[in-house]
Amino acid sequence: MTMTDTPILEIRGVGKAFPNVRALANLAFDVKRGEVVAFVGENGAGKSTLLKILSGDYRLDEGTVLLDGQEVSHVGPLEARRAGFRLVRQEPEIVPHISAAENIFVGELPQKRGIIDFSQLRSDARALLQECGFAGLIDPEAMGDTLSPAQKHVVEIARALKPGVKVIAFDEPTSSLTADETERLFTLIRALRQRGLGVIYVTHRLHEVMEISDRIVVLRDGRLVGIKETASVTPDEIIRMMVGRDLSYGFSRSETTRSEVVLEVTNLTSRYHRDISFKIHAGEILGFAGLVGAGRTELAKVIFGDLHKRSGDVRIMGELTRIKSPSDAIRASIGFAPEDRKGEGLILVRSVIENASMAVFSRLSRWGVLRSKMMVDTVAPLIASLEIKTPSLEQEVGKLSGGNQQKVVLARWLAAKPKVLILDEPTRAVDVGAKAEIYRLIDNLAKSGIAIMLISSEMPELLALADRIVVMQGGLLSAPIEKSEASEERILNVALGQQAA
Amino acid sequence: MTHMTQTNTERSTDNPLKAATRFVGAENLSLIIALIILVALIASQTPFFFAPRNLMNIGMNLAVVGLLSVGMTMVIVSGALDISVGSIAGVASVVSAIFVTYVGTVWGGIFMGILAGALLGVVNAAIISYLRVNAVVATLATLSAYRGLAFLVAPEGRPIGVLDQNFAFLGSGRVFESGGFPGIPVAMLLLIVIAVIGHFVMSSTVFGRSIYSMGGNPIAARLAGINLTRMKFYIFTISGALAGLTGVLVTARTSSGQPSSGTQGLELEAITAVFLGGAILAGGKGTIVGTMLAVVLLATLSNGMNLLNIPTFYQLVAKGFLLVVAVAIGQWRMARAERAQARAAAAG
Repeated sequence: MTMTDTPILEIRGVGKAFPNVRALANLAFDVKRGEVVAFVGENGAGKSTLLKILSGDYRLDEGTVLLDGQEVSHVGPLEARRAGFRLVRQEPEIVPHISAAENIFVGELPQKRGIIDFSQLRSDARALLQECGFAGLIDPEAMGDTLSPAQKHVVEIARALKPGVKVIAFDEPTSSLTADETERLFTLIRALRQRGLGVIYVTHRLHEVMEISDRIVVLRDGRLVGIKETASVTPDEIIRMMVGRDLSYGFSRSETTRSEVVLEVTNLTSRYHRDISFKIHAGEILGFAGLVGAGRTELAKVIFGDLHKRSGDVRIMGELTRIKSPSDAIRASIGFAPEDRKGEGLILVRSVIENASMAVFSRLSRWGVLRSKMMVDTVAPLIASLEIKTPSLEQEVGKLSGGNQQKVVLARWLAAKPKVLILDEPTRAVDVGAKAEIYRLIDNLAKSGIAIMLISSEMPELLALADRIVVMQGGLLSAPIEKSEASEERILNVALGQQAA
Repeated sequence: MTHMTQTNTERSTDNPLKAATRFVGAENLSLIIALIILVALIASQTPFFFAPRNLMNIGMNLAVVGLLSVGMTMVIVSGALDISVGSIAGVASVVSAIFVTYVGTVWGGIFMGILAGALLGVVNAAIISYLRVNAVVATLATLSAYRGLAFLVAPEGRPIGVLDQNFAFLGSGRVFESGGFPGIPVAMLLLIVIAVIGHFVMSSTVFGRSIYSMGGNPIAARLAGINLTRMKFYIFTISGALAGLTGVLVTARTSSGQPSSGTQGLELEAITAVFLGGAILAGGKGTIVGTMLAVVLLATLSNGMNLLNIPTFYQLVAKGFLLVVAVAIGQWRMARAERAQARAAAAG
């Protein structure tokens, strides 16, 4: 490792308070040139606040920040950027109707006599993407709204790497990336380290931290719990520091016996899929692995009636269904918790009780009039059993934390008493503590006899929860792999093997 | 979760003012305060404000805009906008006048006016749902088309006189008149009935709660099994039918079927009332109670300006200004809520 010992980023006694909350207190550490420093901590530990202070989105209340020896304690976003701090945001802002290249250079498009020089723009974008190692992943001419989440991320990374970068911070960069893309990102990060940049890496995924970082900064409740050399700690130690208690990282589900088939899909074909067949038994969790964009979310939506099915049958308890809309699917006892919780799952401006009961409004009403007592009687026990932390049933869902929001989505489908539950990335952007809880909930749901279709891009999650795993690639589905035979390598092999064919 | 427990303790120890605020809602409370200040202001400038005749006048004006605003609240909460309601009222006004005067049936006139409005609402919904035209653009188009239709329906494009006294009672009659009490305008009573029904529908029925859901997040609503197309048809049909009823009321008040005058610009007032009442442009928020308070506030303001002899042109400018203020307040509230949310998220 070529590490000079001079710090490029120095954080000295930084504190930040919001009304009622102390977000950060007396943080002090530094990032050296050619070093990858990971920030870990549960949601609310202060990682995002710290990033936003560094990026100039928030003003700090006390302390100083030095970037390459220059004080940047009280700068705005533009100045922070100019000074060399670049943040790769978790959810990048992409302008929909302009090209990827324009998105990368937005605000500083190359010009010739006041007119945009498009050929220059294209070659600049190509060169930059080549430099990042993402050349094949993205067409610079593609329009913003046609980009997949992973491609949007590539655009965001390319933006950050424009000249002048000294410190680059990645905020949950892999949440929309596949294993292959993650590997490319790591290659890029190693190259950046080689170039002597300071790299900050924020994630909930500990195995990534262990793989890519040199040092780990652990935060809890806005305070620094400790800084560890990555080589000298284990994930379990880090988790203990993060949560302040012991927590098993690996969640293991007890073996289940396979009983009757609940969901049977045969020869399903759509715009996105060809000839998909699979079965899920009562109490079984069938894991869907695959690359982002392989068509797993689309498969869920076809089964749920939100996307059009060309041919093929969906049977529930042996009975052929005719599902043409989500309401048909709900009537057929299917529930669907979508991946994009805020965009597709929840009505953020409405209350917990409304969000939890909206799929069963008709069941909770007589002559079209909702019966508020029945609503409370249905929702309150679910809030209690899912341990959703909310001041009241009337609380706006947007004001809850990510884990609690996800549980509200689960509550909605539990209220509907489904036979089949489709969960699309159920722990995306959920912190470690809440994650373990959601695993336990999913396990309990399966135990109650629900057939669960679990779509996840987190391999450890699939391996921990699923009874069998199928791999989707390019609209095709692999044969199921039994839990006992499943491993990360094996699943990847299937995904890549199909890719080669 | 520390901040949540804090909110909890705050709730249990709050003072009566805070309790009152929670009961009526901060937004409605500010409307009530604004109304009190406005009334005090106008009454201090002119002795005529509290005259029974003037109050009655306010009540009648209020009914026309109020009826439209009930439907408009549903439309805006669902995340759309219906700017064709004034024109629909024009068509309904002419249709009802034709039936009352030429066919000689009062109930037929009322019924046909409402039916005409409902049908035009269905046309709006069809354009929005099947041709996938944005609601603002679709109803802007029908605003013009229906205005023309009203003139086409009226013989020679002229207002139709209506002499039927029973029908006129609907527009300018009073009930419960006794001694010193001047009574309540029938139109006002009609509005109260419709507003109460509207409030019940919005707050307590599957249909109403589904409107909030689809306005708050149409995709999530669809994935929760709500049929958005059907909802749009219902909402625009109701909005159209209420516009039709408004048109009938206009006919009854002015004793003539009015293709244009008396209904033009009503959509602006209704939309202003809904936003002032606490709805937001994005949808998912807004209440009938808030809208009705705003309707009273706007009618009072307009009446006050008339009493103080402020020229019409200034009044028009003031109305436009108010719409901007109403929406700006909503946007400011949302931004504040979002900041609070971001803080909550950052603090865990």
